[in-house]
Amino acid sequence: MNAGDAKDEFFGEAQELIDALARDLLALETSARGGGEDPELINDIFRSVHTLKGLSGLFGLSRLGTLTHELENRLDDMRMGRVSVTSSVLDVLFRAVELLGRMLASARRGEADDDSELPSLLASLKSGAGAGAEKVDDELAPFDLDPDIVRVLTEHEEHRLRTNVRNGTPLYRLRARFPIDRIDKALDELKQLAKPLGEIIAYLPTGDLPADGTLFELDILYASASPLEQLRNRLEGQDVTIHRIARKNAGSHTSLPAAPEVPQSPALPPPPRAPTDRDSIPLALDKPFGDPPTNERTALRESKHAGGIKTPVPPKPEDEASRAVAAGRMAHTVRVDIRRLDHLMNVLGELAIVRGSLARLTERLRQHATFRDLTSELHRLHRAFDRNLAEMQSGILEVRMVPLGQVFERLARAVRQIARQNEKEIRLVVTGAETEVDKLIVEELSDPLLHIVRNSIDHGIEPQGNRAALGKPIEGTIALNAFQAGNHVIIEIEDDGAGVDHDRVLATALKRGLLTEEQAREISPRDAINYLFLPGFSTRDAVTDLSGRGVGLDVVKTNIARLGGVVDVQSERGIGTKFTITLPITLAILRALLLGVAGRTYALPLSSVAEATVLDLRAVRTVEGREVMSLRGETLPLCRLERLFSHERPAKGSHRSYVVVVALGGRRVGIVVDELFGQQDIVIKALGPSLSSVRGFAGATDLGEQRVGLVLDAAALLDEVLSAGERRGLEAFSVGR
Amino acid sequence: MRALPSGEEREEYLGFRADKEMFAVSLALVREILKPPPITEVPRARRDILGIVSVRGQITTVIDLRRRLNLRANDPTVSSRVLLVQGNDEVLGLLVDEVTQVYRLSPLEIEPATSVLGANVGSHVAGIGRPRMRGLRGEVQNASDEVLILLDLAALLS
Repeated sequence: MNAGDAKDEFFGEAQELIDALARDLLALETSARGGGEDPELINDIFRSVHTLKGLSGLFGLSRLGTLTHELENRLDDMRMGRVSVTSSVLDVLFRAVELLGRMLASARRGEADDDSELPSLLASLKSGAGAGAEKVDDELAPFDLDPDIVRVLTEHEEHRLRTNVRNGTPLYRLRARFPIDRIDKALDELKQLAKPLGEIIAYLPTGDLPADGTLFELDILYASASPLEQLRNRLEGQDVTIHRIARKNAGSHTSLPAAPEVPQSPALPPPPRAPTDRDSIPLALDKPFGDPPTNERTALRESKHAGGIKTPVPPKPEDEASRAVAAGRMAHTVRVDIRRLDHLMNVLGELAIVRGSLARLTERLRQHATFRDLTSELHRLHRAFDRNLAEMQSGILEVRMVPLGQVFERLARAVRQIARQNEKEIRLVVTGAETEVDKLIVEELSDPLLHIVRNSIDHGIEPQGNRAALGKPIEGTIALNAFQAGNHVIIEIEDDGAGVDHDRVLATALKRGLLTEEQAREISPRDAINYLFLPGFSTRDAVTDLSGRGVGLDVVKTNIARLGGVVDVQSERGIGTKFTITLPITLAILRALLLGVAGRTYALPLSSVAEATVLDLRAVRTVEGREVMSLRGETLPLCRLERLFSHERPAKGSHRSYVVVVALGGRRVGIVVDELFGQQDIVIKALGPSLSSVRGFAGATDLGEQRVGLVLDAAALLDEVLSAGERRGLEAFSVGR
Repeated sequence: MRALPSGEEREEYLGFRADKEMFAVSLALVREILKPPPITEVPRARRDILGIVSVRGQITTVIDLRRRLNLRANDPTVSSRVLLVQGNDEVLGLLVDEVTQVYRLSPLEIEPATSVLGANVGSHVAGIGRPRMRGLRGEVQNASDEVLILLDLAALLS
């Protein structure tokens, strides 16, 4: 691995960490609103920041390091309960994460980052220090806890213990035994069972292993408000003994927060093995015991019986076991540069070509009677090859797929921020975050989605006062829905804002000469709104109700089109606006229809093909010099590909032609071609930069035998043929209205 | 090569022909010389772009040097070759009529284009090569009649 690779990997990992941070912060905010703070979440956040700090140090990004360092300090305070999770604290954290993201982005581009915000943010982070809950030294006293145990707890574990005590959550000691060879799995299993009912505060190895060394024994300090019976049922089948940690005479400790008195169950299940006298029990059970106080901070001042059983103190009391589990889990995932997958996909494409040649060879052999046996053997081999190849292909495709949730999380962050800037209350409702799309598509989706969402908040959703006057809920709603439909993924972004003013859109389009008065009178509102996607509608004075900051919806459309998708918008005045983005699931490989025009071969992605039929010349009419045909009662604009591409053809014969109906996002065009060669899986490859200005092609693909075919860009062709503002190539197509 | 005359650091150039003119580019920029593979034309592309080919799975754009330099257009012949050269931001194919030989030119054998062709010479001409005949030991014998137009690929392909 060279330095560049390492750096790339760093940026990838750092970005993932920042994404995870933002996601966890959002979750923390939600849980804090609900009244509780999730200690696991704070831990996760702390860990992410810690890792990020380490990485920044490694790659010499000192400013990133400074920020993560301060952030880590504050999160540590939160972990330890020195600072409570308030909305102002969260705001600072959100700001810090945003800034981390920006700093990382500029580091990635090799630019100096904009540091104007850093000092103030560092100050805010620092000022949050120390403003926390004060400690009640005595609160652990009424519990029969071995002070040695309390002493070995980490500060965080102790904080969690105290918090639970303060909340009056009953404490338990779970003594669990695991076979040493599967401790990772067994412990994980136990964790999964125990977590829903309570909180695991600490793992404490008892250091009391059976002589044969096959078992590992662990005490788990556990807090749970669930009835003992339920705990017991839940953990049934595990090698676990549950002990309630008793409260000693509560009478003398009236200063404690009143804990709900959970009646102590006298019927503890018998331990799976009879405890012998030599058993060291680290946490007090029914019989109270304890050592004299040795640690000022954690001292338990009352101990009725001195000389309790000593607990061997493990040298490293942090939950090593769970860390081992985490390490075990990490080993199962691999971070892979997507270009390597692209490379595999290319190799696969070549293999598919080999497969084709093999099939042809088999066919030729079949002609010779003498090779019959060999032929059938070859045929069988070819079939097996075919099957495995298909499996491999879908396997690689699967690896590339990631849930849309990744990009939705980033959006959720942005919504929060933009809503605040605009002083609007926005509720973001997400469905279908688990819908999977090719990683490359997800990467490219961020910007277009962000743009649409920003538009919705800036200009779609009305100010609170207006909403109240209209009888709408003050809180605006933006719904993000994703779902799969065949080979496509559909993403809808819907708001309940003011909608788009069609008349105004048309007026602007007229003013800019994008259509004639006559056309404007006849155009449907649905079509009118599509003018929003034309360049020139992005400036603020054009349509104040729906405008951005220099980047227009035309950019959104271009970006989506580059991914082979289309974007459509529907809007109703006063009700809201809905953007619908239709995307292919993957860019890596697709099924295409191969067509022949004037001796050339083109590939058309099958996902955009509705049907293909023989061109019936009797059904073709000419309207204003443009060809249309009626297909089952509907008028279909026709486009002759050879004219669109100005192909010279060697004297057109009287052979028949075909119509391929291309349909995307509710629009249709019939493409007239000479030949249909059938379907083929193709690996689509980008054209070089010198061809980037050529419109109408999504890329090229190997057709085998050194031949290359161009892949038609269905969305671009539709646009070109149907677009009313398009003057170029008019004679080649028709508008069927 | 031995007995290199001191003070002459010679650079290697690949010489080739397009129409009736002889050209050369720095050999370091030429990655490969191919017999022309089947070329797929790209409708609506610039006129000098002949089309695309697949070189070991990589889609590569091929430019016709004749059309690029406004020479008389011609279909590829048996001697035609595609030079894979490093363009400004991609590897490009350059169709030429014939590849002749590698020249090792010292700075003394390169004349500035303007001094030969006047001030109006295109920016794609880096200079004029006048290779001299050399003996077995590399010693200069006399100037040959050959005239090579040394191409500046970055300017030619931009």
